[in-house]
Amino acid sequence: MGPKRQVIIIRKWHFVSLSACSLDLVDPLCITYSALVNSIMVICILVDVEQLRAVKEALHVSTAPESVVCRENEQNKILDFCKDCIKQEKAGSLYMCGCPGTGKSLSMEKVKEILVNWANEDGVQPPDMVSINCTSLVNTSEIFSKKRHDRSTSSLQLLHNLYSQKQPPGMKMILVIADELDYLITKDRAVLHDLFMLTTLPFSKCILLGIANAIDLADRFIPKLQSLNCKPTVITFRAYSKDQIISILQERLRALPYTVFQPQAVELCARKVAAASGDMRKALSVCRSAIEMLEAERRDPISDFTSSSLERNEDQQMAAAREMMTNQVNNMVRIDHVAAALSKTYKSPVVDTIQSLPQHQQIILCSAVKLFRQGKKDTTIGELNKHYMDVCKSTLIPPAGIVELSSMCRVLDDQGILKLGQSREDKLRRVSLKVDGADIVFALQLVLFLDLYRQRPLSKLLQLLQWDEYCLVMVPTTLIRGYIDHRRQERC
Amino acid sequence: MGQENPAELAQIIIRSRLSNPSFIYSFFSQFPDSNYSKLKYILSSSVTEACNNSVLLLGPRGCGKIAVLELVLEELLKEHPDMISVIKLNGLLHSDNNCALKEISRQLCLEHQLLFSKMASFDDNSQFLLSMLRECGLAHKTIVFVLEEFDLFTQGKQRLLYSLLDAMQSVSSQAVVVGVSCRLDADQLLEKRVRSRFSHRKLLFLPPSGKDLHSLVEHILLLPTDSRLPNDYTTAFNAKLLNILADEKFKGIIDTLCYSDSTVGHLLRFLFSAVCHMDLKSGFISVENFKSAVPSIQRQPKMEALKDCSILELYILVCMKRLEVKETELCNFNSIMKEYKSIHDTFQTSDYYARNVCLRAFEHLLERALISFEDNRGHGQSAEFRPVKLLISWHEIHQGLKSNRGCPAVLHKLMDREAFPKKPQDLKDMGASSLPLWQGSNATLPTSSLPQEAVGFESTPCHWNVTADWAAVDRTGSTPMHGRLLVFLSVSFSVSKNIFRYGLPYRATGRP
Repeated sequence: MGPKRQVIIIRKWHFVSLSACSLDLVDPLCITYSALVNSIMVICILVDVEQLRAVKEALHVSTAPESVVCRENEQNKILDFCKDCIKQEKAGSLYMCGCPGTGKSLSMEKVKEILVNWANEDGVQPPDMVSINCTSLVNTSEIFSKKRHDRSTSSLQLLHNLYSQKQPPGMKMILVIADELDYLITKDRAVLHDLFMLTTLPFSKCILLGIANAIDLADRFIPKLQSLNCKPTVITFRAYSKDQIISILQERLRALPYTVFQPQAVELCARKVAAASGDMRKALSVCRSAIEMLEAERRDPISDFTSSSLERNEDQQMAAAREMMTNQVNNMVRIDHVAAALSKTYKSPVVDTIQSLPQHQQIILCSAVKLFRQGKKDTTIGELNKHYMDVCKSTLIPPAGIVELSSMCRVLDDQGILKLGQSREDKLRRVSLKVDGADIVFALQLVLFLDLYRQRPLSKLLQLLQWDEYCLVMVPTTLIRGYIDHRRQERC
Repeated sequence: MGQENPAELAQIIIRSRLSNPSFIYSFFSQFPDSNYSKLKYILSSSVTEACNNSVLLLGPRGCGKIAVLELVLEELLKEHPDMISVIKLNGLLHSDNNCALKEISRQLCLEHQLLFSKMASFDDNSQFLLSMLRECGLAHKTIVFVLEEFDLFTQGKQRLLYSLLDAMQSVSSQAVVVGVSCRLDADQLLEKRVRSRFSHRKLLFLPPSGKDLHSLVEHILLLPTDSRLPNDYTTAFNAKLLNILADEKFKGIIDTLCYSDSTVGHLLRFLFSAVCHMDLKSGFISVENFKSAVPSIQRQPKMEALKDCSILELYILVCMKRLEVKETELCNFNSIMKEYKSIHDTFQTSDYYARNVCLRAFEHLLERALISFEDNRGHGQSAEFRPVKLLISWHEIHQGLKSNRGCPAVLHKLMDREAFPKKPQDLKDMGASSLPLWQGSNATLPTSSLPQEAVGFESTPCHWNVTADWAAVDRTGSTPMHGRLLVFLSVSFSVSKNIFRYGLPYRATGRP
């Protein structure tokens, strides 16, 4: 029997499936009802996987949406400026600033397209477009040779001469877009000055659009321009607010016929990202991780299904299939997925790492916290050794020698928890903490909670730090009880 | 044949396993939510869905980040043979932008059988990279960039990171950037532009704990049943091994090992050393093998040097320590000789050697780096006049004296006496750093720390003890006979001083 195609209609969707392939493997001679149900379930799962994949692609940073929402104001301002300059054949400079992830480069691409269309429609000569990313320049003065599309070294001089004289009227305008403008900042700021000065020359034909992150780049680094009265126009791209993020996400998802996100989930993501930075890339990345969490959740029950489905009887299978088909909520990204994705993105791995450090290194951190509590900010390894010995003495653990202590300090410095200075003698190297003392105490408290039956000397350590000063972690009692039961079972 | 061969073969099998990281870390691949499966999912979904991604692997050294990454890449190359090319960069070698681009171009040329020219400029290389990314995107090939020591790439202006991550923002390229670093805050070191383009997926590699460690050790040491070894030998070996692993002593050894360093790499070195100590005659591993492996892991080189020292060298070290305690200004060979002579005179020891012999011993100590010159300036002077300092602590000398079999009792006495401080503030200096209290030494402090004047009558006995010893040692050139006389005189002096204070009119200087 070759593969049969079966068309199954479930609700509004049409599914074309090669389910007979799977039936062939199971039992080539008889297609039972249960096998059919099996295949339906597999189809549901397969198609959902396809859906999720499409959604993930729509939410990827590299897919540019057709229309750029929430930036219409800024785009119009830029367009008007460019149109003015082109119509009047006058040079000008514009400076766009804003935090990363606020849509500056994206808007520029759109503006370029619109300009070309407009120029063609209106019968005006479209300008030459030169797009430069200043990070790829080895030498800051290379920007001028890029403008002239050749490699002569005195391009600046040539350009200067060119723009100081009157030219034949057929000359095109040049639109220069310089991305990441702050890479051009040198100590004497000569290049930036020259670049902007080119637009102030009497017969200049160059429209300069600069993009950077600093709001006051024009004021701080090119003050001379103000005296010449040709300061560049500044357009600020503000960070996205919660509503803007929600509308952008919905715009991206509008192209797909099915809904994958619950509205509360989208709102939670937008709220958190807007409060943190207003960076659209972050929001997209969080949504994609949430979808991956959903996929991971769905993957585990699938493996149970397909492996054990042959042993189940028909009734169970029917019930399960019905449940899968009718339970819409299972297919959507819920708030807990988004919450997990957010915590993964914003959580720092410090607390986990401190919890899993070997015991001596934890004691070193404790002694450092105790030492720095009196207001000092750094100390030497010799001092730290003394305190470390004290702590070891009171917790009845044999201490390591100073050579081992300094190598453990080096390991902690590698990981970024301590900071070691340089010195000729090992004992005189300066040590300071890079992690907050409260984080260390918090991490060790959690270890204590989870190790209640082991009675490690950590309790004495924390007593030394007088941990009752800090308010205890409000760990829910169910969690504690659960762990106690778990450890009891382990011991039996 | 006989019993020898299976044991040797077993040893070879286990040792080759321990040296093979993919065997070790493939153990972790069976857990569904381990880092291996997460990384595999990220990379395989990027390849199959043709989207760009970036991920950061964090964790202390020796936890298997690169080993797991290699495992995942191997698996992916097997599953999708022609769809992946891997470029490896290291922050120690390629943190400079030019260097890095050259290396990327070279590796790309190697992969795709193109000719690489060393004369290519920076511009050419970057153009090449961009066009390769575009080509591979069209051909649905993913390029995986592995950046080891990621935190070193974040120094300077981060141009390489910016250009790589920026190239991934366009639809035409298909690349994955995997950063491997041991710094926990590696993503905080990124500039905000670069951080915004990085996708913030982090995988934390932590050392295994408790149960996981136990199962890992079982996985490594249990012999496979399908090897060339005879079946009964294998079952006996495995049964004995399981017994050992359940033993409390073994757990204690592993715990002590994990107190200072709990990473997998450290554990593997320990197991290797233990397996090498296996007794080939009996053919089985025992707990003693593990115990004897511990000192080879927790080496203390200065102690080993002290164990091999000659008696004269030990004398010199003790003399230097006493000079340090007395806080003498200058400590050079001449003052050490004076101190040595004074000890000899006090105790009438038989170990008195001539000056040139002592100079040889002194030079030996310099060579072994147990002592060293204070500064490098006085090259012109001879070794006898230059100031020297000790490179080992009081505690280590004490331990070394104990472990040295030929150490005379005099030195022990001298070192023990160092525990009694001259003044109360010596206690604070020497207290915490030099006294191994948990070892139950008799260096008790409290009673002797009281200053002489404030002592009441009843504590005079131990007070007397102290002054007797000090009197005997402190006076240079005095024989024990003289010492005893001085003892009597000093006792009577102090007793009478107390009497004068508490009962009779006080005299500022009381001389008997």
